[in-house]
Amino acid sequence: MTAKPHPRRIRRFRLRGNIRLLLLVLGPGLVSGFADNDAGGIATYSLAGARFGYGLMWSLLVTMLALGITQEAGARLGLATGQGLAGLIRERFGVRWTGFAVVVMLAANLGTIVAEFAGIAAALSLFGVAPQISSVLAATFVIALVARANFGPVQYAFLAVGLAVSVAYAVSAVLANPDWGHAAVASFVPELQGSGVYIVTLVGVVGTTITPWGQAFIQSYVADKGLGPRDLAAARLDVGLGSFLTNLVAAFIVVACAATIWTHGGSIESAADAALALGPLAGQSATVIFGIGLLAASLLGLAVVPLTSAYFACEAFGWESGVHWRWREAPVFYGLLAFFVGFSALFTIIPGLPLIEVLFATQVFNGLLLPIILTFVMLISGDRQRLGALAGGRVLQFLGWGITFLVSVMSVVYVLSQIFSWS
Amino acid sequence: MPYLSEIQHRRIVDQGGAVVGKLVDVAIIPKEQFPAVQWAVVGGPDGERTLRWTDLEPAGRQYRLVQGAGGAGAVAVELPPEALRLARDLLDKQIVDTHGAKVVRVNDLQLEDTGGQLRLVGADVGLRGLLRRVGGEQVAERLAGIVGRKLPRGIIPWHLVEPLEAAQANVRLTVPHQKLALLHPADIADIVEEMTADERRAVFEQLDIETAAEALGEIEPEMQVSIVDDLDEERAADILDEMDPDEAVDLLQDLSAERREELIDLMEQEESDDVAELLAYPEDSAGGIMTTDFVALPRELTAGQAIERLRELQPDPSAAYYLYVVDAEGRLDGNVSLRDLVVARPETALAEIMNPNALRVRADTSKEDVASLIAKYDLLALPVVDARRVLLGTVTVDDVVELMLPRGWKKRTHRSPAR
Repeated sequence: MTAKPHPRRIRRFRLRGNIRLLLLVLGPGLVSGFADNDAGGIATYSLAGARFGYGLMWSLLVTMLALGITQEAGARLGLATGQGLAGLIRERFGVRWTGFAVVVMLAANLGTIVAEFAGIAAALSLFGVAPQISSVLAATFVIALVARANFGPVQYAFLAVGLAVSVAYAVSAVLANPDWGHAAVASFVPELQGSGVYIVTLVGVVGTTITPWGQAFIQSYVADKGLGPRDLAAARLDVGLGSFLTNLVAAFIVVACAATIWTHGGSIESAADAALALGPLAGQSATVIFGIGLLAASLLGLAVVPLTSAYFACEAFGWESGVHWRWREAPVFYGLLAFFVGFSALFTIIPGLPLIEVLFATQVFNGLLLPIILTFVMLISGDRQRLGALAGGRVLQFLGWGITFLVSVMSVVYVLSQIFSWS
Repeated sequence: MPYLSEIQHRRIVDQGGAVVGKLVDVAIIPKEQFPAVQWAVVGGPDGERTLRWTDLEPAGRQYRLVQGAGGAGAVAVELPPEALRLARDLLDKQIVDTHGAKVVRVNDLQLEDTGGQLRLVGADVGLRGLLRRVGGEQVAERLAGIVGRKLPRGIIPWHLVEPLEAAQANVRLTVPHQKLALLHPADIADIVEEMTADERRAVFEQLDIETAAEALGEIEPEMQVSIVDDLDEERAADILDEMDPDEAVDLLQDLSAERREELIDLMEQEESDDVAELLAYPEDSAGGIMTTDFVALPRELTAGQAIERLRELQPDPSAAYYLYVVDAEGRLDGNVSLRDLVVARPETALAEIMNPNALRVRADTSKEDVASLIAKYDLLALPVVDARRVLLGTVTVDDVVELMLPRGWKKRTHRSPAR
């Protein structure tokens, strides 16, 4: 019998079409890169600049290379298998390890989602909006997104704002007349410090740039779009460009903060303090520009991370996922989304919550859990039987494991520094 | 009936009881409907070896190498290329539906010992399988028991699953629809309940209308609604036409008002009239659960004419439990059973052989009262009349059987070992 086109189907394709078109133009690496500079990213880079001036510039160069390599490893997994990371972990390591990976991923991502909520609250606080209202607005945003609102144009707008704010930081950094020589040297020569704050900031910078959700996102993006081994070259270009731009923007944020806040011995306690970095460009309007930028960055993050997390868990256990299902048909998927939104909204309205510190702490948390996810990625990406020609070559394997080793050491050192309370 | 996860990792001992390794995997050739386990992959200190399954015998929670297989030096065999290793090739893999959309994952594999042959009978895709893999099935079952619920099983019978080439990592769920149609509608309902929404819709698009209607009637109310919502209107209306009017009404009542009207409009005139009539009664009254499929015979007929009339009508079996005798205005005068009709002389008038004191209820009687009447008087059906005694419909025993059983009983017996 000839089935008539199914009404729900058509709507689904239209919805996918929008997101696909968007991502086709921008590329997964670019989107993932821009979403990396979300609320947590802006806060963390600002803190890095304000606390240590150019002292952490070297870490941006290292994380740029590391981001490119880990994202390429993730993209290869998606290209070769057409599956998401969770599915591969399940097939390779069985139920128990998958459960572990899912718990780690969801914990890290819950942190990130809280950060996006906190980012929205911080941004709107600059305009005098109470955190309770910001929470409700942020929650409404996610619900509207999931309820199949036509999201294409809105996402373009966020990206455009994100881009504009990036440019604003670049211009501001130049106008602030920074010590370019110092910045350039510091980018290549690490100025290591042994203090606890230095280590925790380093973990934050790494954790906000290379993220567990970023690994899940790049892979399922590539897989969902139906890209195959032939697209490796394009994917590498996209990933490389994304990593470069992400960290270029990060570098401008650090330089701007170093030249404005650090040189004057200031510190960042609130969003208003962080906005000072845009002073050289915008003067009195710095707060407004910063607020809008932080808001756009947070919303872009919110558009990506909750869905990515729910997909991850559902893929692992074979539960239905996707916004085209009804509540009853995909209860776990929607249940997880509801939990993320509910938890984050409630968390953000805790009275007197230091928003900037929350933003920063969640990125540190991401950095601490990152080695676990990277280990899974690297173990699978060396599997020639599974990946065939797309398995990482010796160089990629060596670099990937080197990065995994370094972030592991970094996390261990951080935990030790906490236990022995270095300061 | 063991699950793969339960026999995996069991120790293998030789005749003397010394451990020679552990069971890593078992292998089948995916040819038969329920393929037999033919090989065991044994992991020992010096790597994996493949043995014939018949070289092993169960010994408590271990397996023993049988006499003659020769202890640690048992004859290793080659696994033929078409063989599938259950743990390596099937466990944790995705089962995709016939449209290639992602569905579920194989959480465990169900094996069954039939006549000394261990056979693969099903893929466990449910929560139980997951819990079993992490060793939490018992605990979860007890917890669920405390809150008075049972953990659902989710097993797809193996003959509905078709593994793709081992090179591809997916397992395809094929529902050979012709084959499915041969099953009893209640079994189809069971299978369909384990499927994803997309797959369910595909099944109901392809089954013949009659089977689809019967199977749909056996499915849980919530799922019925989502299936009917997903089907295109014409198809849904066709299936509703074919369902018993009372079942169709139950289903329609759960739909959104908009969808309900749309479907009633598309239904056949006769059926939609029945349905519209039944919809007027509250869901939990005799009127709400009754069916309008019944046989009413004018009282003037003779037994012979009545039998002739039945031949023309060819009523469903459940509509022929009792035949109702009505006057010219449709008022219920009595009932007569098939037996009475057959043993009576053909020229006897119905009025003479009918039972004039037939029990009857009004349309607003609660369904619990109807159930207790049916239970008390061992009836197969009970006629429903209006204030003027006009026969409106009947409630048959299968409409109320669920009310008479302890909660959850019907569901449990559903999972009969018959498959």
